[in-house]
Amino acid sequence: MSDPIHPPPEFPKGYRPQVFSDPAIDQLYDGYLTLGTELAVAFDRIDTLERLLQERLGMTRAEIDGYQPSEAVDAERQARRAELAQRLLRPFREFRDERITRGGRKG
Amino acid sequence: MKGFKQHALLPTLQHDEQARQDFVGAFRGHLSGRVMPGNYQLLERRVAPRFAAEHGRPPADEQEIREWMTREPYYQFWSALQRRSQELLWESVIDPTEREWSTLITRARAAKPTKTRKRGSLRLDPALAVPRYHAAADIHLQPGGYHTDFTGDDVAAGAIYDKGINLYMGGALGAENDLMGNTLLAYLRERHPAHRPKRILDVGCAIGNSTVVWARAFPKAEVHGIDVGAPVLRYAHARAQALGVAVHFSQQNAEHTDFADESFDLVISHIVLHETSKTALVRILAECRRLLKPGGLMLHLEIPRGRTPIEKFMHNWESYNNNETFSRYMTRIDLPAQARKAGFAADEVSLEEFVPKMDVAQMNYTEHFFWKILVGRKNGAL
Repeated sequence: MSDPIHPPPEFPKGYRPQVFSDPAIDQLYDGYLTLGTELAVAFDRIDTLERLLQERLGMTRAEIDGYQPSEAVDAERQARRAELAQRLLRPFREFRDERITRGGRKG
Repeated sequence: MKGFKQHALLPTLQHDEQARQDFVGAFRGHLSGRVMPGNYQLLERRVAPRFAAEHGRPPADEQEIREWMTREPYYQFWSALQRRSQELLWESVIDPTEREWSTLITRARAAKPTKTRKRGSLRLDPALAVPRYHAAADIHLQPGGYHTDFTGDDVAAGAIYDKGINLYMGGALGAENDLMGNTLLAYLRERHPAHRPKRILDVGCAIGNSTVVWARAFPKAEVHGIDVGAPVLRYAHARAQALGVAVHFSQQNAEHTDFADESFDLVISHIVLHETSKTALVRILAECRRLLKPGGLMLHLEIPRGRTPIEKFMHNWESYNNNETFSRYMTRIDLPAQARKAGFAADEVSLEEFVPKMDVAQMNYTEHFFWKILVGRKNGAL
């Protein structure tokens, strides 16, 4: 009855800019942010598990998939996400501090 | 994203899907709030002094700034991450849509008008050619764009767009993605309070998120929305039905519609013009004029993309990196002149700045955000 579903393309159609002189650096950054995202996902998952384990002894995957964070839990998670973003952005802060804000080393 | 209103046409989110979207949103917030402003410092403290040392003058325009800034590692870091975060955004929205795809189509099919629901309508035209400016690149990097059907009666592009644009704008679009509709409506009420439209046309309406705002504001008016994308229109129709709002959606090219002359007293669009092309822009404005009744109003909401060369350069990141191909030309186009080319008299058009009292945090590349509105009135001075 239903028509087959063809999944959307993995990559959007159109111009793909190259930011760095070496495309490998672009690819590295893409991977780096993907890794950061998945790490954030894992942190959230672990957090959920720990909270559920604490609350009760029996644990099912369905329980995890159905977990809805309270506003307080969400606020804690928001803070942790912000912290991770800060850590991931360390190279930029360093560069900004040294070479832009303080106008230090040339390069 | 907290504050976004879940409805029947959106996929539900499992734990990890929610976490992925939340992080993408948080990361983009950091990029725009904390990293992006460093580019202004970079120009002021490093690039401009070096440019001046070499040329004996400051950079004259956006192009000169571009040449120098795109060689700078800090700008490159930001740009690479901004681009990847945009791709991740769509990926995080596509995953749950794929999981619930059939369910969404079933719900959309069931959302047809009933005796108890207000009667909106949907009219599709499978023969309509999607214009090149829309099909050549996937706008905002949404894979497949707004127009691709991946299966019969598909609504996926609509569901992906609905949640995606909310994340894209860091939640600033509001619980029902209604910020743009509310902005233009606030403009009409403030500057043209006597104008009470009976027939309204929303051009390039996509999922009808702004169209619904107008239908609610003028419940006695007959409200139409047109777009070239079939899946977003199917979604728009089902979404409006689910919200209990009557809108008539049809698949049409705004350059030449099948509506009769002088059939609307209000023609509107919400950040659509910069997604078209130089020739299409004039044709669309001419079509708007044809459709307006004498005394009718045309209002096109647009993002002005900066006053200074550095602001223009930063705004045009979207054009070079986010498949907003035409938007870089829009920064140089005199919109009222284009409207005159399309048949409006000189005193019938104006370009106005408008800053409503609304939260537009995170949806900008500059400190002071404002909207531009191209206003036209047929057979009447403004």
